[in-house]
Amino acid sequence: MKKVIDSKFKRYLGWFFKLSLVGVVVLAVLMAYLDAKVRDKFEGKRWALPAKVFARPMELYSGLALNPKYLVQELEQIGYRRVPSVQTPGQYMIDGNEMDIYRRYVRLYDGEEHAARIHLRFDNNTISGLWIDGAPSDIARLEPLLIGGIYPKHNEDRQLIKLEDAPKLLIDALVAVEDRDFYNHWGISLKGIARAFMVNVQQGGLVQGGSTLTQQLVKNFFLTRERSIQRKAVEALMAILVELHYDKDEILETYLNEVYLGQSGRRAIHGFGLASQFYFGKHIRNLNAPEMATLVGMVKGPSVYNPKRRPDNALARRNVVLNVMQDQALITPYEYQVWSKRELDVVEYSQYQRIEYPAFLDLVRRQLRSDYKEQDLTSEGLRIYTSLNPIIQRSAEQAVKKRLDNIERDYKLEKNGLQGAMVVASTESGEVEALVGDRNPRYFGFNRALDANRSIGSLAKPAVYLTALRDSRYHFISPIDDAPIKVAGANGDVWEPENYDHESHGIVPLYQAMARSLNQATARLGLQVGLSNVLKTLKDLGVDRELPAYPSIVLGAFELSPFEVAQMYQTIAASGFQTPLKAIRAVSTAEGELLSRYGFNVNQSIKTEPAYLIQKAMQQVVKIGTGRFLNSQFDQSLNLAGKTGTSDSQRDSWFTGFSGDKLAVVWVGRDDNQTMPITGAGGALRIWAHTFKDLPLKPLYPLPSENIVEHWVNVNGNAITDESCEGAQLMPFIKGQEPLQKTDCSQPETIEKPWWSRIFNQ
Amino acid sequence: MKLVFKILIVVSVFSLLGACSIQPYQSVDQIQATQSSDFSMLPNWYHPDLGLQLLGDNEYPEQTALASLLQKADRAFLLNELQSCQILLERAQRISTRDPGVYVRLSYLSWLDGNIDKAEQMARRAYALVASDKYANKEVKRLLTAIQANKY
Repeated sequence: MKKVIDSKFKRYLGWFFKLSLVGVVVLAVLMAYLDAKVRDKFEGKRWALPAKVFARPMELYSGLALNPKYLVQELEQIGYRRVPSVQTPGQYMIDGNEMDIYRRYVRLYDGEEHAARIHLRFDNNTISGLWIDGAPSDIARLEPLLIGGIYPKHNEDRQLIKLEDAPKLLIDALVAVEDRDFYNHWGISLKGIARAFMVNVQQGGLVQGGSTLTQQLVKNFFLTRERSIQRKAVEALMAILVELHYDKDEILETYLNEVYLGQSGRRAIHGFGLASQFYFGKHIRNLNAPEMATLVGMVKGPSVYNPKRRPDNALARRNVVLNVMQDQALITPYEYQVWSKRELDVVEYSQYQRIEYPAFLDLVRRQLRSDYKEQDLTSEGLRIYTSLNPIIQRSAEQAVKKRLDNIERDYKLEKNGLQGAMVVASTESGEVEALVGDRNPRYFGFNRALDANRSIGSLAKPAVYLTALRDSRYHFISPIDDAPIKVAGANGDVWEPENYDHESHGIVPLYQAMARSLNQATARLGLQVGLSNVLKTLKDLGVDRELPAYPSIVLGAFELSPFEVAQMYQTIAASGFQTPLKAIRAVSTAEGELLSRYGFNVNQSIKTEPAYLIQKAMQQVVKIGTGRFLNSQFDQSLNLAGKTGTSDSQRDSWFTGFSGDKLAVVWVGRDDNQTMPITGAGGALRIWAHTFKDLPLKPLYPLPSENIVEHWVNVNGNAITDESCEGAQLMPFIKGQEPLQKTDCSQPETIEKPWWSRIFNQ
Repeated sequence: MKLVFKILIVVSVFSLLGACSIQPYQSVDQIQATQSSDFSMLPNWYHPDLGLQLLGDNEYPEQTALASLLQKADRAFLLNELQSCQILLERAQRISTRDPGVYVRLSYLSWLDGNIDKAEQMARRAYALVASDKYANKEVKRLLTAIQANKY
């Protein structure tokens, strides 16, 4: 009997030994695998750092037209705090018409701006004096607003810090709250596990983890959020491996950068570096004790204790942390008493709690695509400096939304059925300063500013008139016949354009035909100058698409996106000098080394003389034509120029207008291409006006050349006349392209039909 | 024989790479001399408003943001820091979009960079902006003509 038992025991022992051997081998293989995984992550690139995209840095100088309210808006957005007296960087104060800004240090792609006190004096919404650190100065720059990032798929964002950047008190508080044995254990804490086990047994489930900081780091780095014994075991093994390879400081530094601390839209806030900027608008070095306690408290539950979304929870949790800090003698009882009564003091706006500009970022991304790989943009921490002007952007967004809401209300249309897009650019530099791609500007989706291909209607007309003005047969007051016209197509169709008012207006001077946007006069003129010449002008203006040579193109029966329209009108607004529209100024590495610059380029594609005349004609659109609503809204000395556009059956409402420095194109329509009860003047024009109503614009003075002359003319008589004659008007002409007839005051205004109209009337 | 030929090629390639990677030190005088030589094909002129960056004797009558940036750009130019110069000029352009002096300088920079087409376009832009100033008009026209004459 005993022999049998002995034999069985030996057999079991043998099996046990064999199984143990297999177990050890499996464990060894697993450890080797986990070890490789740990080392790979720690010794390779630990994080994919998204590219950061910045708006233009605001330039401040004497003579700059700037309403102080916009400066305050920008300061708040970049996380400055208003205080009674500025003491440290990141603060500003207002005293009557004077303002003090303590600028933070900022490194840009073209150099550094040191922390400095900037004193400004304003007179009539214009900077009249500027001092830097007490000395009179000519110019100062602020740091640019961070407007977004180009994120990897997981949308993690972080701002890397070194351990020495983190205040000692923050680290002590973190260790005290999350892992008191951190400096003594080997990755796992038996005491912690025992405590968690007891709690879990009492509660009848997994409610508390006994994780050390190292285990938390391992979990975040390598594992899922699953709560299971297997995952816990792997976590423990990996934590031990991490501790074997790396010292405590390195583990702590990695933890500080890895930990998840909340969400901002799609973007996940990781690490104390970014969190301190995001919640308090400060560098981590400048956090005070209650702020540190708030962040440390968030580790337990970034959503539950989020100080922006759940301030009550966050406040209670912060005080728990402060209490622990007091218990651990990190702060005194008195400090605890004072600090636990403080508000959370999270910043309302911060550079890092940014408003996203999806449409503009989309443009940035597309323009970068030719030079950078997507992977580099999402992982190398590149810094992308753009031309976005947040003040104009905000104004444009509000204008689009407000006008569309009003139209829907006034015409009793279904809500949110209308859509809008807008492009604002600098006329001379071609820099895009604002871009709206949807009536909801935070929407990440179809970008109408770039991708909505819509019939441009009357916005094509300036190309027709410009073609005529490039042709020596025409001048500014050439008589154009606005009479019914029929053109037979190759397939037997007849194209018979009508005017908006369904009337014909007879002979009209060229500039008036454009100002009044007369379809029949334009169709006639377009055919007279030749479709191929109109197409060439469109190309010279920057329209890259191949357009068919159909007669209807002269009335804009072809599609362009608002961005393409902006490119076309930039050439006109810059007196014939075409500059490719661009959103990016430069790209640098995370360390500030300049990688690429997108400098100013220009190409004169239209001579200055016809460009001068077409600008003058577009000023007439605003003065007497379809854009005259602007005249009632803006100072007339601005001499604004513009053009309305309405496509067939009012499916598209367009307006493009420019001053001496800004060009903006607005489109309103429906995604399903249905008709609307509004024209270009009723929809898009109003948005243009609302956008720029409170913004400073420079007056538009078309650039004269030595070949431009002015004559007093009898406009309807197509003749030069005397200044003293009744109704005589001073009009511009290109030398040699002037009216041939002269008339005196005694002669009545005559309207002579040009030779070509006789041909086309037949 | 083949081996000698291969060695010669390798040595030549490395010498060329070495030469390209070394930025020899140049004094301001040397830089000015080089720039002067490069610019010898362009007219040497001065206009009180537009300035003449080449010799560094420009006057900045008013203390404004524009003057400050132009002054810095001219200094960068004399130190052969052409990229900084260009960046400063583009900042100046944003502040004062129609200052012909900015475009004249950008034209010179493009010329120095070997981009003759761009130099011409910048000069054209400057020319379009000086229509009302006969003296400046004449000067910019001389610049434009010189660029066009050396273009082909």
